[in-house]
Amino acid sequence: MGVVQYVAKRVATYLAVLFIGLTITFFLPRLLPTNPIDSYIGQIQSRAAGMLTPEAIASLRESLQQLYGLKGDLLSQYLGYLNRVVLHFDFGPSFAYYPAPVSSMIFTALPWTLALLLISTLIAWVIGNAVGVVAGYFHTKRWATVLEIVGILLYPIPYYILAVSVILLLAYVVPVFPLSPTFPVGQLTLPMVGQILYNSFLPALTLVLAGFGWNILSMKALAVATTEEPYVTFARLKGTSHGTRMIRYVFRNAMLPQVTALALSLGMVFNGALLTEILFSYPGVGLLMRTAASNGDYDVLYGAIALSIIAVATAGLVIDLVYPLLDPRIRRA
Amino acid sequence: MAKPSRYLMAPLLAVLLMGGTSIGAHAQDMTDVGTPRNQTLVVQTFDGKSANPDDQNPLNSYAIWHGFRELGWSYLWEDDTSTGKSYPELADGMPQVLNPEHTKFRVKIRPGVYWSDGVEFTTDDILYTLATEFKYKDKLTNVATIVNYIKPDSWKAVDKYTFEVETQKPAYDFVQVMGVYTWASAFIPVPKHVFEKQADVTTFKNQNPVTLGPYTVKQYDPNGFWQLWQLRDDWQRSGWGNLGQPKPKYVLYKDFGAEETRTLAFVQNKYDEDTFMSPDSIQAAEAKNPAIQTFSPTMPFNDMNDACSYGIYLNQQRAPLDKPEVRWALALSIDLQTVGITAVNGEFKAAALPLADTPITDPLFYKPLLDFLTGLKLKDGYQPFNANFGSDLIAKLKDQGMDDSMLPTGDAIKAGFGQGWWKYDPAEAEKLLNSVGIKKGSDGFYTLPDGSPWTIDFVFPSDWNKVMERVGFSIADSWKKAGFNVNARQVDNGEFTTVQNTNSKLQAMINWSSSCTYNQNFLNSWRSFTPTNVKDANSNDPLSGNYLRVTDQKIFDLVADATKQETTSDAFLKDGQQIAQELTSGMQLINLMNIPTTIPTNSYYWKNYPKADNFYAAPYTWWSSFKKTIVNIQPTGK
Amino acid sequence: MTTETQTTPVAADTAPKRKRRDEGWSSLLWLLNRRLGIGLVILLIFVAGSLVLPFFSPSDPSQQATYMKNLHMTTKHWLGTTALGQDTFWYLIFAVRNSLLLGIAVGIGITIISTAVGLSAGYIGGAFERIVMLFVDTFITIPLLPILIILGTLIRANYAYLVSIIIIFGWAWNARTIRSMALTLREREFINMARFSGAGTFQILTREIFPYVSAYMLVGFINTVLFAINTEATLAVIGLSKVEIPTLGSIIFWALNYNALFTGNVVWLVAPIVATVLLFLGLFLTSTGFNEAFASRRGVA
Repeated sequence: MGVVQYVAKRVATYLAVLFIGLTITFFLPRLLPTNPIDSYIGQIQSRAAGMLTPEAIASLRESLQQLYGLKGDLLSQYLGYLNRVVLHFDFGPSFAYYPAPVSSMIFTALPWTLALLLISTLIAWVIGNAVGVVAGYFHTKRWATVLEIVGILLYPIPYYILAVSVILLLAYVVPVFPLSPTFPVGQLTLPMVGQILYNSFLPALTLVLAGFGWNILSMKALAVATTEEPYVTFARLKGTSHGTRMIRYVFRNAMLPQVTALALSLGMVFNGALLTEILFSYPGVGLLMRTAASNGDYDVLYGAIALSIIAVATAGLVIDLVYPLLDPRIRRA
Repeated sequence: MAKPSRYLMAPLLAVLLMGGTSIGAHAQDMTDVGTPRNQTLVVQTFDGKSANPDDQNPLNSYAIWHGFRELGWSYLWEDDTSTGKSYPELADGMPQVLNPEHTKFRVKIRPGVYWSDGVEFTTDDILYTLATEFKYKDKLTNVATIVNYIKPDSWKAVDKYTFEVETQKPAYDFVQVMGVYTWASAFIPVPKHVFEKQADVTTFKNQNPVTLGPYTVKQYDPNGFWQLWQLRDDWQRSGWGNLGQPKPKYVLYKDFGAEETRTLAFVQNKYDEDTFMSPDSIQAAEAKNPAIQTFSPTMPFNDMNDACSYGIYLNQQRAPLDKPEVRWALALSIDLQTVGITAVNGEFKAAALPLADTPITDPLFYKPLLDFLTGLKLKDGYQPFNANFGSDLIAKLKDQGMDDSMLPTGDAIKAGFGQGWWKYDPAEAEKLLNSVGIKKGSDGFYTLPDGSPWTIDFVFPSDWNKVMERVGFSIADSWKKAGFNVNARQVDNGEFTTVQNTNSKLQAMINWSSSCTYNQNFLNSWRSFTPTNVKDANSNDPLSGNYLRVTDQKIFDLVADATKQETTSDAFLKDGQQIAQELTSGMQLINLMNIPTTIPTNSYYWKNYPKADNFYAAPYTWWSSFKKTIVNIQPTGK
Repeated sequence: MTTETQTTPVAADTAPKRKRRDEGWSSLLWLLNRRLGIGLVILLIFVAGSLVLPFFSPSDPSQQATYMKNLHMTTKHWLGTTALGQDTFWYLIFAVRNSLLLGIAVGIGITIISTAVGLSAGYIGGAFERIVMLFVDTFITIPLLPILIILGTLIRANYAYLVSIIIIFGWAWNARTIRSMALTLREREFINMARFSGAGTFQILTREIFPYVSAYMLVGFINTVLFAINTEATLAVIGLSKVEIPTLGSIIFWALNYNALFTGNVVWLVAPIVATVLLFLGLFLTSTGFNEAFASRRGVA
């Protein structure tokens, strides 16, 4: 049957993509001119105030090599890595912070990243598309052009600048929000949730500002195109109201590429995470990745990137499986 | 067409800067973690955010920053950073040497010291710590020093407060290995009654640990941004309860983020001591909030007495850096005054010998070797030392518009800016290079004798050490102007260490690890100058010391001789001075300046920090000597 | 429908933007709409300015300590000086030039690769397409920014690596789009006509399909330039690029490194922001302007 074949093909592609992706990420950190053992020893030395004798360093290096599993040639390491990751979902211990396991480090950081980025991306998408569809539908009017210009101006502003301006405005001049977040510890209670929201507001705001410009513009373009389609004109002649036409006809048809974009951008959260987390001291996966890269901490990097690849690939898979449901035209293909 | 955001930005930013302080300085009652602000000392962490805050086991790793070594742990001997001499903390007096070979020691500890859970501290804890370190030495990651210093199974208890131990080799620095040297100690006693109950000591996290110091961990952020310490009620029975009463009831170590946001928080009195804020930011902050102060009211404003100095380490084993003429040429092509003004606003203290120039090292090394420096001649008779470096710098600063009241005069010039540095003379540099066959090519850059272009790979830290990063770029600029084709690279921590350790990767880098002579005991920096620490010039094997790539047999002999001397003796010091002379005359290390530790303080809630005119301890919040500050500061009553 | 004045595909290999604009002025004047006009004017100012002006610069603006630090805007220093003693105005001019050159280099690279891959995959189909698309999908799923951070160490050593890496990890998106277009085109009437009249695959690709997709290629090229400049700027701002070389990203890096806002040298930070926004505006308007124009010419959305 067509559907089963399609699904099977799609899943097979998904698995192949994952495999290739994971392989590439295995080899990439090896390109780093950084030896993680050196990094760790460097840290210890800086704490040891020169007390670490050369003999001590040499013996430490030996034991670390054993512990990190960095002995053996590349092929055996690769096979060991595949075995561990695919079969056991175990990413091993972090090098820089031995013996903390990578999975625990990532899973502590993950909820923060997911919460912040998913929520702000969703908000940006909803607001942006709402504004966009209205502007696109009434695209002949003056104010629609103004809205588009707002989108055009917001879109190219570098993210970092948006972030600094938001901080200056809302945490310094009008000190409503904190300059650096302090997240409460302990059991999750209602006032704590409030605190978390309060401390996360600024990064979320910046992400929304950065994202919804694009959504306005693309949605508007799509809406304009769709509004000119014959079937919309036909609906107008039929006598439907603006609202119905806008939502049922224009939005529903223009929405599809936007949904694709949304799903893909949700999958790509790790891309946007980085700057946000560094600037706002936000304890997520992006910050983890940055520190790991600077320490040459291979295992943490594998874990984070592998997670990211899985997220994006899965998002793509879900879209491809769900899309035909939304758009009957595609079902044929 | 309206373009709101762009036109708004500029005036908005201007308004923000002007209006910022007035709105921000409202008094706060509580800190973000729920403690009274005027009873809490809030400090910016030295290392930013910690990646594994759960790990609080001193045998393993990490439990050093964020207050552990300053407030939580306690040591046998401490280091008085105002004089550089050690004094007993847990120990009762100095150790007794038992044999003429200087390997057996007897140590007494003070009775009446209790862990934070009420159990008494005895030699059982010390011996248990030693035994555990040896038992699991392959799995524990913070025990390498002790395991290579103390003889295995050589310890025994004489009674509850006395023990004896033996070292592997004759030891003249026992107090500063088993106790604190500058900022930390290799030996940290752990509570036997807690650790022996654990199934696996090597993976034991020791969260919210039982401490010997007067503070315990009240709360910590599982994401690693902050750690809150609370004073024990029985602080007098703690490891350093005899030092005095710790004034803050709470101490909060927190990472306030990148400098752009930190400065705003500092101006709003959100925390009391910063770590390594850049000089221009400090100036702007002082203008906005008069409670913010630097270490000294005159240039160079900040405390310059850190144990280490920044220098340019060259791979002496690789051509053409193996020729002293080339190294001297590089040194003479650095316009250090301009570099200092650009990179650190002129707030630095130049140091010509391969160690920092501090009130402690000055009488030991700099004053005695001043004649050597001024009389130093290169092969062609040129005298490179400029003893008026400080005054020249002051003249340049005046040109930049600096006010006279901020500039030191008379004797204070050398105390502030150093005894002198090398002259800036690119013409002489060119002469030196020409004498070994290196000439300028048609593009203005130097070429090697065989005609091929000469590029220098110059490595220095990236954002994790802003000062070195800026200095690095400025030095690269200075060199380029003189004709050296420099490829300047800012690198992450991991790569930095790899470049430092690997011959094939190093050409030139800014580093500090081998120029950390804090007091007379220079062996900690130079102990590794031995033939075993020399590898092939293009080797990929990592070095474990001797990062200066010293191959000079004279220096090896001096080091070998020094290990046989008592560290407080004159003969020992003489060896050290001679090593410094050898290193300098061959320009084996282009030493630049003392590490400028920019630690601005905020006197809104607390006062009596260590300052230039009130120097009771080094002002560093991440050294174990921070305990002196804890004991001496006073609340302002706000 | 016939293609009119499109030149041979070789044109794509050599500065397509210039070529297109020249043609535009002479024979495709009616393509101009208001958006495109404004966009092109902005771009012209930026490109001409940044390529010509540097010849008049009094010194190399990336050299430090040429002037006094942190001077205000005067007639001698139009935008003042930086905390490193450089002239802000001239630094900015060089920065725009370098960023544009980087963007164009990346744009050319990505456009060539993605067009070749996308067209051939879409048209030829079959197993070839499946394998190629597998790689395209893989590269799409690998997140670019973390890769750049990992490879940041390589990038800081050598600027050419930056260009190559962005190209390697950035061509996938465009390839996918072009392939989808090629897919739809494959079944169109005029293609079948060409095939039946005996044209080979390569000829069909270059003579019939390519001109059709060239419009998208142009738009894609401009978007890629935007993307490349943005990526480099992002990397530079967090210090992961070769920040000695003046680019739009590195000037912001230095301004933030020396805490320009807080210390009062506001122009140092605001001027590159304004320049970046304007440049991106220009690129964006040009891209969407072309899009609109081509769309209206085809008479189809």
